[in-house]
Amino acid sequence: MSPTFASPPTWPWGVYVTPEPAETGITISEADFQKFREFFYRKTGIQFDSSKRYFVDKRLAERIEATGSGSFRGYFMLLRFQVNGEELQALTNLMTVNETYFFREEYQFQCLVDSLLPEIVARKIDRRPIRIWVMPSSSGEEPYSIAIYLLERWAGIHRWDVEIIASDIDTRILAQARQGLYSHRSVQYLPADYLQRYFKRRAEGYQICDDLRQSVEFTRVNLSERADTRSYRDFDVIFCRNLLIYFDDVSRKTATETFYDALKPGGFICLGHSESMSRSSSLYKVRKFPSAIVYQRPLEVS
Amino acid sequence: MGLIKTQPTVESVTEEVRKHPRDCAGLLAQLIDPNPTVRRWAARDLADCPDISAALVERLHQEADISVREVILTTLTGLGDATSVAGLVECLRSEDAARRNEAIEAMRQLPDAVAPIIRGLLADPDPDVRIFAVNILESLCHPEVERWLIEVIDRDPHVNVCGAAVDLLGEVGSGAARESLLRLKARFANEPYIRFAADLALGRLRDA
Repeated sequence: MSPTFASPPTWPWGVYVTPEPAETGITISEADFQKFREFFYRKTGIQFDSSKRYFVDKRLAERIEATGSGSFRGYFMLLRFQVNGEELQALTNLMTVNETYFFREEYQFQCLVDSLLPEIVARKIDRRPIRIWVMPSSSGEEPYSIAIYLLERWAGIHRWDVEIIASDIDTRILAQARQGLYSHRSVQYLPADYLQRYFKRRAEGYQICDDLRQSVEFTRVNLSERADTRSYRDFDVIFCRNLLIYFDDVSRKTATETFYDALKPGGFICLGHSESMSRSSSLYKVRKFPSAIVYQRPLEVS
Repeated sequence: MGLIKTQPTVESVTEEVRKHPRDCAGLLAQLIDPNPTVRRWAARDLADCPDISAALVERLHQEADISVREVILTTLTGLGDATSVAGLVECLRSEDAARRNEAIEAMRQLPDAVAPIIRGLLADPDPDVRIFAVNILESLCHPEVERWLIEVIDRDPHVNVCGAAVDLLGEVGSGAARESLLRLKARFANEPYIRFAADLALGRLRDA
């Protein structure tokens, strides 16, 4: 996959405290920036255009200082040649933007329970669990929202097992998702009774209850890495919202091909409201349901 | 029934047991497997094998399943070597519009590999291939795009090839294209579309 944060919709100012380049005394030249962005794209698929220079420079300066590399050159050598890839992961965590909230783009969850799941169970010929993959997991709001929606709004949950797997490239955000601790802002669109039922009040905000925390499996996946995605198969529904818009054309195409093989024939993929599959792949069928447009891997192709 | 509970230490997504070795010879054999899923995975994983472009190109020409073709094209795009590009060029001559479009789409992603051969394509004896070459330039990120288009409108005898090029110059053209656009108008003085498109392009020249 290729997460490309050419222009993240929201900036995590206030989430990450990063020093200004001037404060650290570290400068990143235009040539450094070009070199870095080519390397980072190759490794992660994430692409930064020139308008994100400030964002990238700030984070590079922070890591150069934190690792004691002294200069861009020293840090770049560390990134390129470190055997365990730890620093590349740390930097990836810093470069990816995570902001979401519970019940964001709720109409798609409605589509899931009103249209997608009824169709899926109608053609199901086994009793195996229904599998849902959420990518990116971010801090967990989306997979937990799906879990809550299924419990509250889908009668079929009493007859079927559902497995929810949520993945992200960012290990730090995955740890946060597993912990399930949220601010008031993050839960503000949840009905009050849901908040009461599924959350515990904490000094820092709200924590999702243990039962729900155990109902979502969080895994680290880089969509650009075939080795990471190979075992993700047999999903009935994939949610991949507001991620592909940051990818370049080739990465987007690769990601949609990966999803194609991760879905069962007839499986559905839900993209963000501003996203469309048409530019990257002709493999999917467009399905218009009352509450949302989703894409389907055709049934007839095995 | 309900939501399946996970155990913190056990991941339900685990590597499955391999039915076939995934070495290059095994993957090549799977490229002609009757199951398109197997063929797709083979096409994807062959990206790691050396000197594999020719075999992928050969399969591309035979492959009937579009989902497999798309993956082969993505792998060829990733490889981006001369053999891959030559295979894509062959697709431009296909009678099948879908195959031609797939090749154009893939070649647009390969500016460095396409640049050395683009002049050859723009001079191809078949005017359709020349039009497809202009179509490739439409999204090719290369600093020479404007220069190549100018050469087309200066030299190409075919009105449709010039028409495609002049349309694109309206988007990417700078002052460097002005004289050539004026010459084009004169050369095709009896073609209302060329006159119209050239005027439009002249009005839009970036530094006009």
